[in-house]
Amino acid sequence: MDDTPEVRGCVLPLHLHYSVTDHTWLLIQEDGIATIGMTDVAQNLAGPLLHAKPKKVGAKRSKGKPVATVESSKWVGPVKSPISGEVVEVNAELAKDATIINKSPYKAGWIVRMKPSNLDAEMDGLLTGQAAVDAYKERIEREDLKPCTHVEGFEI
Amino acid sequence: MNDDPEGKKILVIQTHGIETPRRTYSPLFYAMAATAMEIDALVWFTMDGTSQLKKGAAEQVQLDPTSDVTLKTMIEQALEAEVELAVCQQSMALFDMTTDDLIDGVKILGATSIIDLSLQADHVMYF
Repeated sequence: MDDTPEVRGCVLPLHLHYSVTDHTWLLIQEDGIATIGMTDVAQNLAGPLLHAKPKKVGAKRSKGKPVATVESSKWVGPVKSPISGEVVEVNAELAKDATIINKSPYKAGWIVRMKPSNLDAEMDGLLTGQAAVDAYKERIEREDLKPCTHVEGFEI
Repeated sequence: MNDDPEGKKILVIQTHGIETPRRTYSPLFYAMAATAMEIDALVWFTMDGTSQLKKGAAEQVQLDPTSDVTLKTMIEQALEAEVELAVCQQSMALFDMTTDDLIDGVKILGATSIIDLSLQADHVMYF
């Protein structure tokens, strides 16, 4: 089975958990810390990013509250946290070049790392594997979202 | 710079209308930036700005002819981002507009309300 399926050219790795509603992904590390970022769909909708401003380390966030604001020439908005918890690390590289998110939404373009505070309950609301791909496919088709295009050097 | 703007309020006053397209997008964009930062934002359309909110008007305003984004797109994005939109009741009369002429999602407020909102806001931006 392909572990990086695509929907309209948008890559959705199977091993991540997704909030399809908020276009975010989450990966729980072995130490229990959650890495959070924007999906390929989200970076494509936003376009080349000019700025990405994560919340500061120590910020406590409830699920659905912003962990960052991102802006392109045509869009500005929040990156909503898929879980509740405390920001323990931010991706400092984004301050130098926010297009890292466009180039590598699932690796170098991660946005914050959080110590979850209510993970067991909140993971139920996230989707992973083929269920996530199917849900995203349904949304992309329902909203007729444009196909993903990738900049040179894009990595999965 | 304020490190923690969360919970503050910004009032954006828009006095320019569809006859000056280049002055229409940015105030909405700033208001969306504010709500993304968890700042309450209200855009107050008054004087010529009122014309932006007339049904059928915003879709005619397009800054970039190569893009499918219109002023209507911007207004819809602002509402989706929980930016509040309000129109000056007195200015509506200047454009012979009634409640039925307004797009959905816009509050109608009078002059005393805008004074109250100005006093309550942490910052006011004028355009």
